[in-house]
Order: sequence, then structure tokens, then C-alpha cells
Amino acid sequence: MSGAVGREAVFPTRQSLGLMKNKLKGAEIGHSLLKRKSEALTKRFRDITRRIDEAKQKMGRVMQIAAFSLAEVSYAVGGDIGYQIQESAKQARFRVRTKQENISGVLLPTFESYTQEGVNDFGLTGLGKGGQQIQRCRETYARAVETLVELASLQTAFLILDEVIKVVNRRDINSELDELDREEFYRLKKVSGKKKRDVAAADAEILAARQKAEQEQAENPKEPAATATAIFAKEEETTDVLGEQEDNDVIF
Amino acid sequence: MEGLFFNVNGGYVEGIVRGYRNSLLSGQNYSNLTQCETIDDVKLQLAPSYGDFLASLSPNPSTSDLASRMTDKLVAEFKYLIAQATGSSAKFLEYMTYGYMIDNIALLITGTLHERDTRELLERCHPLGWFETLPVLCVATNIEELYNSVLIETPLAAYFKGSLSHQDLDELNIEIVRNTLYKNYLEDFYNFINTHPDFSGTPTQDVMAEILQFEADRRSINITLNSFGTELSKLERRKLYPEFGNLYPEGSLMLSRADDVEGVALAVSAVADYKAFFDAVGLSQGGGGLGGMGGGPADGKSLEDLFYQKEMDLSKLVFTRQFTPAVVYAWMKLKEQEIRNVTWISECIAQNQKERIGNFISVF
Repeated sequence: MSGAVGREAVFPTRQSLGLMKNKLKGAEIGHSLLKRKSEALTKRFRDITRRIDEAKQKMGRVMQIAAFSLAEVSYAVGGDIGYQIQESAKQARFRVRTKQENISGVLLPTFESYTQEGVNDFGLTGLGKGGQQIQRCRETYARAVETLVELASLQTAFLILDEVIKVVNRRDINSELDELDREEFYRLKKVSGKKKRDVAAADAEILAARQKAEQEQAENPKEPAATATAIFAKEEETTDVLGEQEDNDVIF
Repeated sequence: MEGLFFNVNGGYVEGIVRGYRNSLLSGQNYSNLTQCETIDDVKLQLAPSYGDFLASLSPNPSTSDLASRMTDKLVAEFKYLIAQATGSSAKFLEYMTYGYMIDNIALLITGTLHERDTRELLERCHPLGWFETLPVLCVATNIEELYNSVLIETPLAAYFKGSLSHQDLDELNIEIVRNTLYKNYLEDFYNFINTHPDFSGTPTQDVMAEILQFEADRRSINITLNSFGTELSKLERRKLYPEFGNLYPEGSLMLSRADDVEGVALAVSAVADYKAFFDAVGLSQGGGGLGGMGGGPADGKSLEDLFYQKEMDLSKLVFTRQFTPAVVYAWMKLKEQEIRNVTWISECIAQNQKERIGNFISVF
């Protein structure tokens, strides 16, 4: 499509031939590099998708267990301890740190959870009764949060990778141009097709209108006569019918 | 002798409580409950004994709503009893509410320490632990004020006196405050039923002494077990043990020195009941693994469950005695267990985890 139009205006010398050859080589290398990068990213992307699926299913299970362990606590303590726990928690025991992972030049943030040992703000809650259940419940919930962090990390990576893959693929100039060309060609085809159809429709309309107008114009001058003949014809018809009926009567 | 005049004042209350006792859920009811598919079914099954109180619940209520309505009924019935009681029986019933008051005060202290709006805390208070001056606690904005002008006016003032200063309230962990108060309360209650002329030498003394001793032991053991791995020092821990009970004094002393579960098992081994519990859950030394239980707790019961079971057995036995307000205490404990049971069952149903649904304590 862009063959003759897109041709670069080059002065035909040996020097510029060498230049062009170098350019082409560079472009080819760049293209293959980008292609490889895109493939590496896509591989990673698929891997993450699979892991997100796993993490989500795991989360479902873990959350269920955690909710149940809370039920155990309320059975053992015989009341609501939520308020007490909220009030006595001062420092975060469960913390998250971010790291960056480099996948062929793309920095992906990953969250890593760890527990700060020694922080145990409500260690004494349920001292009189239910303490063990509370501690157990805390551990279960810590595991649940761990899963959540893992999932969050994966999802963030997923979003970023998705964006990056798009960008990388776009930088693949050739395919992008081809795509654009195809799109442009298709668009033009569509437009011209539509135009053709519109023109045909309009032509037909105009033609019809013109014919009608012509006819009308042709009819207009002898209009009274035409009506007269029409009435005459009608009358004749009626009489005809009557005549026939009479005939019929006669026959009967 | 005590039977001669008891009914003049206490007969009505006792009669009412025995009536209440008959409305407690039976094993049959529980097995019906465990068959339920939804919370609505549970509600339906509970209708004969809870009727009106569950009527206003929305369809498929949350388990906590269900539990709070059941508690409402318990509270309403108890309030009726306390209104009917006179003399020493009334005093006895008041003693029963002190435990809840301790919880409420601990809640308010926590709230005050964190400068919460104490008004919203009042809604969270247990209605049985309500006393006239409780809302006054909201007036106090700092701990010193709370201690000097407000707590002194409460029925619990005596429990603060001598063991907790206002500095303690600020610095100590609220759990330690709560357990100190509870220790003082248990000792006071124990003293009350043993020395009050209306109760000493009566069935009340017999049964209540046994129940309170058990309660004291249970607290000591639980505190010890739960304190492992926390910053609670042995000296502080020892101060939280009630100074009576089957374990006191030798057992308590050994408990205060215990470093691990085996130490606790050793400390309680003098009392046959507790030794049996520890053996059953496989916590005592060499008990679990060798006994062919595979190291796991016997039929899924925890030590806590066994203690509850024992408490229920004691409470059930109280009804074999007459002429005593102790039946009210027993009924209350049974009712609370019942609420816990129903909550557990409905929780299992709501979360669709039926394999452990039978893990409740049915008494009758």
C-alpha cells in the first residue's frame, strides 16, 4: 500500500547504501530483541495468571478456616472480644515489605510478608479463658493475610505486565505499521464501500424523483381530459355491470 | 433446719428457676438443631423455648444476632429473679452479677485509655453487669479521675482497694487488671457463702464452695497455660491465682513455678479430676503419645471443653439440692452454655463446616 508513497528520498550513492544497510541491520536486531522481550514477558504473564488462579482458590480455603477458628474463639470465650483486640493492638506484627523483581528490564514490585517477632500486643487476651483459641485464631488469620498479600503482589504484577506487554508489542514497529495499514485499508474499504452504496442509493432516488417529475410534468397539461376519460371509463364500467346483471336477470 | 424457713423468702425464686431449668434444651433438641440446614431452621427449632425473643429477627439472621437475642432472654429472666429475691438471696444474686461488672469495667477502662467516646462503649457492656453508676464512668476522661472519683462508688471498689492503684490502671495490661479483679471477686464470693450466717452450713455452702473452688482452679490453670510465651512474669502470674480451691496452696505454688505444659500437668496431678483432663487431652507427660491416642486430643475435645463439661456437671448436680439460691447460679451457667452451644451449631451451619458440629456440651 505504502510502496511508492513511503519510499525514502535517498540520494543514490554508495555511502548512503552502506548507511542504509547499517540502518536495516540495526532495525532487525532491535526487532528481534523486542520480540524476545515480548515473549519473555508473555511467558511470565501466563505464569502469573496461573498463580493468581491458584492463590485465589487457596484464599477461599484459608479464609474459610480462619472464619471457623473465630467461631471457635467465640465459643471458648463466650462473648465478643473484637473490641478488646482492636484496642490492645498497638504495633503491627504482620508487616509487608516491597521488593523489585527485574524481568527483562521490567521492574515488577513484589510484596513480601513477614512477621515482626516479639510484637504480641494482645498476648494476654483471654488469659482467664480462651487464650489458646485466640492465639490459634491469630495464627490462622495471619496465614489468611499472607495469602492475601501474595495475591495482591501477583495482581499488581499482572496489571503492570499487561501494560508493559502492550507497550513492547507496540514498539515492534513493523507489525504495528502493518496493523495500522491493515486497519487503514479496511477503513478505506469500508468508507468507499459505504460511499458507493450511498451514491447508488442517492442516484436511484434522484432518478426516481426525476422520472416522477417528468411524468407529472407530462401529465399536467392534459389533466382535465385525463380525468374526464377516467370518469367516462368508470361510468362505462358501471353500466356494463348493470347491463350484465340485467342480462343475468333475464336469463333467470 | 435451713429448710424450715427458706421458702418464706426464697421459695418463689427457687420455684421459678426450676421452671426455667425445664425449658433448657435437651439432647433431643440439640440433635434436631444439628440437622438444620439454615439458620432459619435453627430459629424454628428454638421457638418453643425462646419464642418471642427470636420473633423480631430478620430472616436468616447472623449468628451473633441470634446469640444476642438469646442473651436478652437470659437477662430478662435473671432481672425478674433478682427483682423477686429478698435478703441474703438477693445479695447472692448480686454477687453473681459482679463477674459481668468486672468485664464491663475492663471494657470502659480500655476505652478511656484510648480516649474513645465512652458512650459507644456503654452499648457494648453486658447488660447483667450494669449498675447504676456505670454510666458515670463515662464522665471520667482520664484514668486518675476514673479511679479516684468513679470506681470508688461502684460495687467493685473493694476489689480495687489494696491491689490496684491508679498507676496500675495506666501501666498494667488490662488483662492483668481484669484477672486481679476477678481473683478478688472469687475470693470475696467464696468468703461470702462460707461466712454469711444464712448460708454457712446450708446446701448453698456445700454446692457453691465446690463450684467456686472449681472455678478458681480453672482460672489458675488457664492463666498459667495462657501465659506461656507472653511477657507475664511468674511473680505477676502468681498474684492472679485465687487463694482457695482444690489446688491451693501446694498446687498453686507448683503452678506458679511451671515453665511448660508438663509442669502444669504435674502441678494439678494431685487432684484426680484435673489429672484425668490432662491425660485425656494428652498434655501430661508421656500420657498422650503412649496411650495410643496418636498424640491428638481425645475425640477432638480441648482442655477448655473438658472444663466446661465439668462445670456443667457440677451445675446439673446443684438441682438435686433444695432450699438454696445456688440453683440460680447453676441455671445461669447452664443457660450460658446453651447459648454458646447454639451459637456454635449455627456457626457450623452458616459456614457449612458440619464435621465438627457435634462439638458442644449437651447437659440434659
